[in-house]
Amino acid sequence: MFNLIKYEFVKKYKLILITLISSVVLDLYLFTKGIGGSSIFLVLFPTVMSILYTVDVIKMYGDDINKKSGYMLFMTPNSGYKIIVSKLITAVIEGLAILLIFFIFILINGSYINYLSGVNINFNDIVYMVNRLMTGNLGINLGHILTFSLTGLLILISFFTTVYTAMTIRKSIFSEMKFGGVLSFAIFLLLNWGISRLSSWILDTLPSSYNSFIFSDLYTASEWFRMLLPANALSIIQSIILTLCSGYLLEKKINL
Amino acid sequence: MNKLELLRLEHLNKKYYNKTALDNVSLTLEKGRIYGLLGPNGSGKTTLMKVIAGLHKQTSGEAYLENEPLSYKTKGNISYMPTENFLYDSFKVSDAVKFYSDMYADFKQENAYALLKEINVDTEFRISKLSSGLIGKLKVALALSRDVELYMLDEPLNGVDVLSRDTIMDLITRSCNENKTMIISTHLVSEIEKILDSVIFLKDGKIELFGDSEELRTAHGMSVEGIYKEVFRNV
Repeated sequence: MFNLIKYEFVKKYKLILITLISSVVLDLYLFTKGIGGSSIFLVLFPTVMSILYTVDVIKMYGDDINKKSGYMLFMTPNSGYKIIVSKLITAVIEGLAILLIFFIFILINGSYINYLSGVNINFNDIVYMVNRLMTGNLGINLGHILTFSLTGLLILISFFTTVYTAMTIRKSIFSEMKFGGVLSFAIFLLLNWGISRLSSWILDTLPSSYNSFIFSDLYTASEWFRMLLPANALSIIQSIILTLCSGYLLEKKINL
Repeated sequence: MNKLELLRLEHLNKKYYNKTALDNVSLTLEKGRIYGLLGPNGSGKTTLMKVIAGLHKQTSGEAYLENEPLSYKTKGNISYMPTENFLYDSFKVSDAVKFYSDMYADFKQENAYALLKEINVDTEFRISKLSSGLIGKLKVALALSRDVELYMLDEPLNGVDVLSRDTIMDLITRSCNENKTMIISTHLVSEIEKILDSVIFLKDGKIELFGDSEELRTAHGMSVEGIYKEVFRNV
């Protein structure tokens, strides 16, 4: 598994370096445009990176399953399940790394904007704000952040497993049909439609305390956690089922 | 099960949307022999190899390696060289060697470097910059540097110049011993005939002829290439 993940990064290390260097150069250039420039970067970076990240994660599996270079991976004595899981782990690590880099940019650009606007950063103020966050005096606390991050992560994984399953179905059950890309997308839409219908039906049958989403900062982290529990559980179940389906198809039906 | 048996195919069928690529193929291959898988383009040679390598799944029928049904586990005992350039373009030759070394426990890295030196493939070259001849030699060197029971080389002489063909043939014959079996697919029959112990003629996905090369030569009173021309004259 380690080697599979390692080579996913080896294959794309140049792309990662180019993206990182381009981001730094762009940020430095926008520094010269003052507060507006730095602020624009903080909007631009997550927008562009979300698109690039989604494309990259889809391409990571799509290339292996659709191009001849995928033989490199599929000739190795690794089960289909292992291959799919290694792709998902790589996607999660990549996503977390992008998030971390974004936070670093926020810190750097935030400090720069403060410097330009003449606000002196007081270290004690930062400690005070962190304390307020941890104690929940900001309306949200670390528990909220972790709860929402967990939900976000689970939604992301379930999205990628749906995409991967659509591509796997296309390369196994429908491997010889024409218009592969369109067919993959159609299968993806169909899977999403089916899953959302099933999810709505399950959530509707639950007691109202589990499915009433009124956005308010009055909820505590544990209340949010409880309310998000069914949706999170569904995301986990969906991801596991789709991963098992993809793994099975890779093992038993694949035509590369 | 025959003590010498390595690979057994039973009524293997592979159907694509509107085409039959393999039609009821049944074969038993023994250890320590070099098999020539011969047939014109589109006869099913590559499909058969891909099914054995686990890159395609048969529509019906069974396949066993050492009496074990083909699965990801048996991939560990099969070294397959596809005819296409399947190596990652962004890799250097040394990266490809490292990849094989990391992925296959049986891969002999020192052997690979020795072979690459012998066939003049610079390990610092990027794969995207290699000529088709060098890629052909690199693929053969990587496949033969694994220590497995079954090797399958799909068109190893394709796109390779005449001198390099001799080098590749030499590598193949040196890699064989009584424990290793090799299946070589080609339509360049005359080039490879001398190293083949047995031949399998595939025509429209069916086995047209299968037997010991020497016995076939005697029976037909001509070379394997001659028999090939007879069998496939009207294809």
